Amino acid sequence: MRPPIPPIPPRQSQYGIDPSLVKRRVSELPGMTSVLLKELFPDLPEVIYPGEQGVAAVRKATEEALQKVDMSMIKPEHSVNILASHHGFTLLGGEPYAEMLKTLKDVIQARTGCKNIRLRAGVGLRFRETEEYIKRYGLDKHFEGKAIGVAPIDEGIPIETEIGTLYGIKKIYDADWIVHAHNSDVREVHFHRQVDRAVKPFGMSYARIETRSTYHQNLGPRAANFTARAIFDSPFVQSKFAFASFLTVAPNGIMGVDADNDLYALNDRITILGCRYYGKMMTLFGEIDECIAALDFPCPVVYVFAAGVIYANFAGANTDLYDLDMPLPAYTWYTESFYGKRGRPLLQEIPPLNPAIKMCVHNYAWTGYPSAFFSEHIPTVVVGQEQAELFNRDPQNLTYMKHAVVAETTETAMEFAYKATGTRKVLIFDGAIGGINLSEPLAEFLLKKAPQVNERVENELLPKWLRQRGVDLSVLRKCAS
Amino acid sequence: MKVVNLVAAVKAEKCRGCKTCERVCPVLAIKVVDRKAVVDADRCRGCAACEQRCPDYAITMIKREQPVVVRVDVGAVDYVKIEELCRRAKLHPEQIICYCTATRAEEVAAAILQGARSPEDVSFQTGARTGCKVECIQPILRLLEAAGIEPSPPKGGWQWYGRTPTVWEIPEEVKKKYASRGFYFEEDIKLLDRVVAAPLQGRSDT
Repeated sequence: MRPPIPPIPPRQSQYGIDPSLVKRRVSELPGMTSVLLKELFPDLPEVIYPGEQGVAAVRKATEEALQKVDMSMIKPEHSVNILASHHGFTLLGGEPYAEMLKTLKDVIQARTGCKNIRLRAGVGLRFRETEEYIKRYGLDKHFEGKAIGVAPIDEGIPIETEIGTLYGIKKIYDADWIVHAHNSDVREVHFHRQVDRAVKPFGMSYARIETRSTYHQNLGPRAANFTARAIFDSPFVQSKFAFASFLTVAPNGIMGVDADNDLYALNDRITILGCRYYGKMMTLFGEIDECIAALDFPCPVVYVFAAGVIYANFAGANTDLYDLDMPLPAYTWYTESFYGKRGRPLLQEIPPLNPAIKMCVHNYAWTGYPSAFFSEHIPTVVVGQEQAELFNRDPQNLTYMKHAVVAETTETAMEFAYKATGTRKVLIFDGAIGGINLSEPLAEFLLKKAPQVNERVENELLPKWLRQRGVDLSVLRKCAS
Repeated sequence: MKVVNLVAAVKAEKCRGCKTCERVCPVLAIKVVDRKAVVDADRCRGCAACEQRCPDYAITMIKREQPVVVRVDVGAVDYVKIEELCRRAKLHPEQIICYCTATRAEEVAAAILQGARSPEDVSFQTGARTGCKVECIQPILRLLEAAGIEPSPPKGGWQWYGRTPTVWEIPEEVKKKYASRGFYFEEDIKLLDRVVAAPLQGRSDT
């Protein structure tokens, strides 16, 4: 068996404990190994990052992708907002996304003569998160002081759409042109269901609370992402949209950069990538019969990564998140809201959280996302009193520790989990790049299951998923050839 | 229901009186007086909106010596009226509308039936919208509207701007136009209608 892959290190942040308090990573414990994703699915794409050239490969790919983009609408006297989101900075350490943002600024300036280029970086529910990233990656210097984080409670602007008035963040749109700088990593597939993934930030990180609440409370689990399309298609946003540039991401790394003046064309391309590559990983994880989930990554509980799959997705891996005939995944905010006062779902067909997760060992994960639903329904051990105390101070997680227990060390937490669950299968969400850190019994299990999952996704599930999203199957065949 | 265990504190020497805190506070607990922000500790619900948006990092959240329990007694209101109001707003009474505080629609409805007239009143009385401050504004506005109340946003504030469309209000031509792109409007309406009509699990809070 291979040794574990070095996990993403802890990060200094107001949303997590001090990195010095993370004494042990779960992957360092005895019996842990790793599996390369290419061993599981040999047809995963070749990647430019990680690679020998480092982030220089991302710069080169961004420059090449931008060659086919029309920037003639941007005049030297204009202003441009490059729109970014927090999520990109959580991918493979964050440097690739930061490099794409820097390259975008440099290329726009060189091609158009425009110098008033700003970075506006949106957030999820941690309102200062992108402020932290702007400093960490030197974006404030690169954008000559014109880089700011924006939040959904900042001043808003009404946007008239074909379904009525929605609201954006004023500072997102306070330039002549906007450039949508994002990535194709699927992350919250339980929410967006890989429908208009490329458009989602217009209804989320670029949007005000009214719009985000529309997404999560007003439209329903499979209509939600229409919020984003409604805003993007509005005459106001269309009058400002210049082009989009995306890191194209697979579970094993950065494939390249895709840029286009037509966001929907780009969206169709990334829909195929998302369904094919991430769909395989999620389907494989859905095969796991029992395990301990270990959280060990600098992100909130739901967003910790293993093989490009976040914990929130694994908590719903007992259902097919890509199948739109299935209305409610085991975890979405709609699902969570539909649990009644007796702690049971209001409708019988609402699936439980993935019963294969016998216990969650929360070794290191951040606050800043309401996560009590997980500790309430999955036995959870949190490592360290400091981490428990941080959650007790988080307005979004005041009851997280009400349902969890505290262990002094990573070792004692895992020993408890082994004894209480009786399983030796451990899946570690620590952002290991190019592979998965896990225990030996689970590695053997996944290696055995992967070939049949590969075949089922390619022949049965992928054509159905794409058909449900109106994506032309000839595009898929072209990709395959 | 929320146990409020934090309170905002202003470092006066850093405050420049920009009023950002005043504009984002969901319960109107902070005001700029003589160019300095002042916190009304009794009103503060510990959400940290002010601390997170202050451009001068002049606000910190400190632990309250005595946490305050904020809740509206659902039992004090005729439950038939609560149920009617929730279902008119197309919400199940036991549906959670604030994921951070696990506040259910019935508690917000009870607050409204006992006199809450705005999202600010609802947040102050129930604690809803004092966690993430983002996701629950629409069901609160829907419940107020269902009660015949048309609140106005706080003058000059950024707390909220207006109610937005629900899936029941999506125009037919829009549904048809995007039916092949993976948006399941009709199916989601059926699902949500079934949730709204689902039986109650229990009336007590215990």
